[in-house]
Amino acid sequence: MDRKLERILPLVQKPARYTGGELNSVIKDKNKVDIRFAFCFPDSYEIGMSHLGMKILYSAANERDDTWCERVFAPWDDMEEQMRRNNIPLYALESGDPIKDFDIIGFTLQYELCYTNVLNMLDLAGLPVRASDRKGLSPIVMGGGPCVCNPEPVAEFFDLFSLGEGEEVNSEIMDLYKEHKKRGSSKEEFLTDAAKIPGVYVPSLYKTEYNADGTLKDIIPCEGAPETVTKRIISDLDKVFYPDNFVVPFIDVVHDRVTHEIFRGCIRGCRFCQAGFIYRPIREKSPDVINEQCKTLCKNTGYDEISLCSLSSSDYTKIEELLSKLLDWTGDEKVNIALPSLRVDNFSEELVKKLTGVRRSGLTFAPEAGTQRMRDVINKNVTEEELIETANIAFSNGYSAVKLYFMLGLPTETDEDVEGIGLLAKKVVDAFYMNPDKPKGRGVNVGISASSFVPKPFTPFQWEPQATPDELAQKQEHLKNTLPSKKINVSFHNIPTSFLEGVFARGDRRLSDVIECAWKKGCRFDGWGDKFMFDKWQESFVDCGISPEFYANRRREYDEKLPWDHLDFGVSKAFLMKESKKSYNAETTPHCRIKCAGCSANKLNGGKCDV
Amino acid sequence: MYDLRLYISKKGRIKFVSHLDMFRLMQRAVRRAEIPLWYTEGFNPHPYISFLLALSLGVESEGEPVDIKILGDMSPQEVKDRLNRCMPEGLYVESAVKPFNKSAEIAYGTYKVLYSKEDISENELFEALTSGSLTCEKSGKSGGKKVMKTVDVSQHIKSFKLSSENEDIGLEVVLPAGSTFNLNPIQLSQAVSGYLGKEVVPVSVIRTALHTEDMTGFY
Ligand code: SF4
Repeated sequence: MDRKLERILPLVQKPARYTGGELNSVIKDKNKVDIRFAFCFPDSYEIGMSHLGMKILYSAANERDDTWCERVFAPWDDMEEQMRRNNIPLYALESGDPIKDFDIIGFTLQYELCYTNVLNMLDLAGLPVRASDRKGLSPIVMGGGPCVCNPEPVAEFFDLFSLGEGEEVNSEIMDLYKEHKKRGSSKEEFLTDAAKIPGVYVPSLYKTEYNADGTLKDIIPCEGAPETVTKRIISDLDKVFYPDNFVVPFIDVVHDRVTHEIFRGCIRGCRFCQAGFIYRPIREKSPDVINEQCKTLCKNTGYDEISLCSLSSSDYTKIEELLSKLLDWTGDEKVNIALPSLRVDNFSEELVKKLTGVRRSGLTFAPEAGTQRMRDVINKNVTEEELIETANIAFSNGYSAVKLYFMLGLPTETDEDVEGIGLLAKKVVDAFYMNPDKPKGRGVNVGISASSFVPKPFTPFQWEPQATPDELAQKQEHLKNTLPSKKINVSFHNIPTSFLEGVFARGDRRLSDVIECAWKKGCRFDGWGDKFMFDKWQESFVDCGISPEFYANRRREYDEKLPWDHLDFGVSKAFLMKESKKSYNAETTPHCRIKCAGCSANKLNGGKCDV
Repeated sequence: MYDLRLYISKKGRIKFVSHLDMFRLMQRAVRRAEIPLWYTEGFNPHPYISFLLALSLGVESEGEPVDIKILGDMSPQEVKDRLNRCMPEGLYVESAVKPFNKSAEIAYGTYKVLYSKEDISENELFEALTSGSLTCEKSGKSGGKKVMKTVDVSQHIKSFKLSSENEDIGLEVVLPAGSTFNLNPIQLSQAVSGYLGKEVVPVSVIRTALHTEDMTGFY
């Protein structure tokens, strides 16, 4: 270990974030590989190490003999200070080598509020933050993850984006890079070629033009770059690479367990939910494959908990079969199973019994809106009766704490819809007291978590104005003042945070200036309540002469050119428009298993959806 | 079922893994190694793994005693070999033996400390250690509340030896360790810093041995 580093580590919190050396971390001989890959997660170690996508892509890259992929996380502020003071550049955890000299630096962009961390990490590495200022072939800075469905606000900082699922396309990018490195190509030569790989978006090859009113006029591809870039998907989840071990962190991280993805995509089509659309089409993994992979992972990591993840676990068609297979061996091995993202409407009695046999914690439900009209607008196809019925199943099975998730600021929302949130929670409280089989000697605990709705690209609400910070504040007040029971407690999301998220979610390239400006003013870790400096962001918008309201609170016309119109995530614009119009009439769309709604995402998988 | 005492060395970057995190780490290593451990009973059963003594963050060790209970008759050698195949880099089971002393008998620890000559000279260090007036602040409890107490460090230095090692000064020192009273070289360094009026942070610290009250080895 570097002596300088060794001397500063005792001075920072949780130094094991920065040491590397965790079990199953991959060590290779750097002289025997062609590609050094720095996989960067622009948030703390604890958040990044909990992320399944990173684990998969890290292992997949290291499967290649010619590549050494290492992990990098955003140093916490105390460590940043020490690194800057002692001239220690950002290094990769496995080798301790500065990432500045790596071939590829890949960032996964999971949420908009990590953007300043990306800039800060590039700067800590000793690299210019703007792609145009990084001249040589290496390092190529690439981005992936859900935010790249509209990467325009960070377009100036990245050389390329990889759209959709990365298991295959990343490898194609590496193959091409290796070839160009051998040839001694320039960065431009490499990028022009990379743009020809399906799923690769090279922002510098697209020129943007604006109308006088500030809206986008056109995005024009040049040098043979494709008109639209279509995201990549993995066709067969049973055959795609899945790691047989995970790096096991020393310190406690957010999700410290075996995580297994059971299917991709979502049948539901809730109109506010970006994940529900951008991960389509629906593809399931078979229970036998999941079961075997979980067994291997438990063996290789020593973890005693498995979490089955997806957007809506109980929509997995073979959930009971999978649970039976897992429960066959997990009991003896003292392994717990956790099943997050359960839905209210098909949460069966048997399922709850099976899970309670293993582990009991509070239950969470997400009705998302308080009235049936509002739920119909957002296409959250769940009724009050279903919610109460499920809550009763849970109460009869010994649960007494329930958390309900709602959103404020949904399109067409009225005061009555806001009040409905409290009324619905009250009905859950009443159901508990009326339930003859409720747990004895305990009171009920109903929590409401009310977040602020943020309209996102590739959803039917992509044209909607976001409720302004003032409107959101009024809605929060109104909800608090109309709560019908003292048994209900309510928590809210920070409004400025949602506002900024709203700006970047649907922003365009001109926002790169604002992000750079805010970063220079010291903004980092904007997703962390105690680190978020809204005043600095406001100053930055003013300094750059950019109105954040233009992006967050403006209604877009259906014929307006959107900054992500040249990117194709499967779901068609015509479908989104149809859904948008239906929402105004509170007209619902049945889920994919009842009837295919014709979203077009199946075209990415030869017309097939696993429904 | 039988009791087994492991001596686990902890060297290199893993020294930055805290005592608290070591328990979870061992629990997983034992699972990977498929060693049949006795589980505690009760609501949340977990394998019985007991670190006899805390080791401060950043301190290395030649062998930390860890007690476990083996179900069945897997031999100590087998336990040791299996574990060593499953440990993260920097941890190694040096020996696995039937416990001799009781954990409460630990009284002293020997440490090897390195200071950079850029930070302190041998004379300064010698002067500080023999001054008889070294003190440091230590958190303790009084009436259930956490309070800072001033500790007379000089009185607790059982013995020490200085040496010169290239760019560093080596200090071998015996300090109280155990369940009743503990003083570690980090605190000693704070006391030296306070005495000299400048920041003296050790380059490295390693615990080399543990002793009972009469200074015989702890087994
Ligand atoms: S193509 Fe049809 S079945 Fe497949 S996700 Fe879209 S709406 Fe659902």
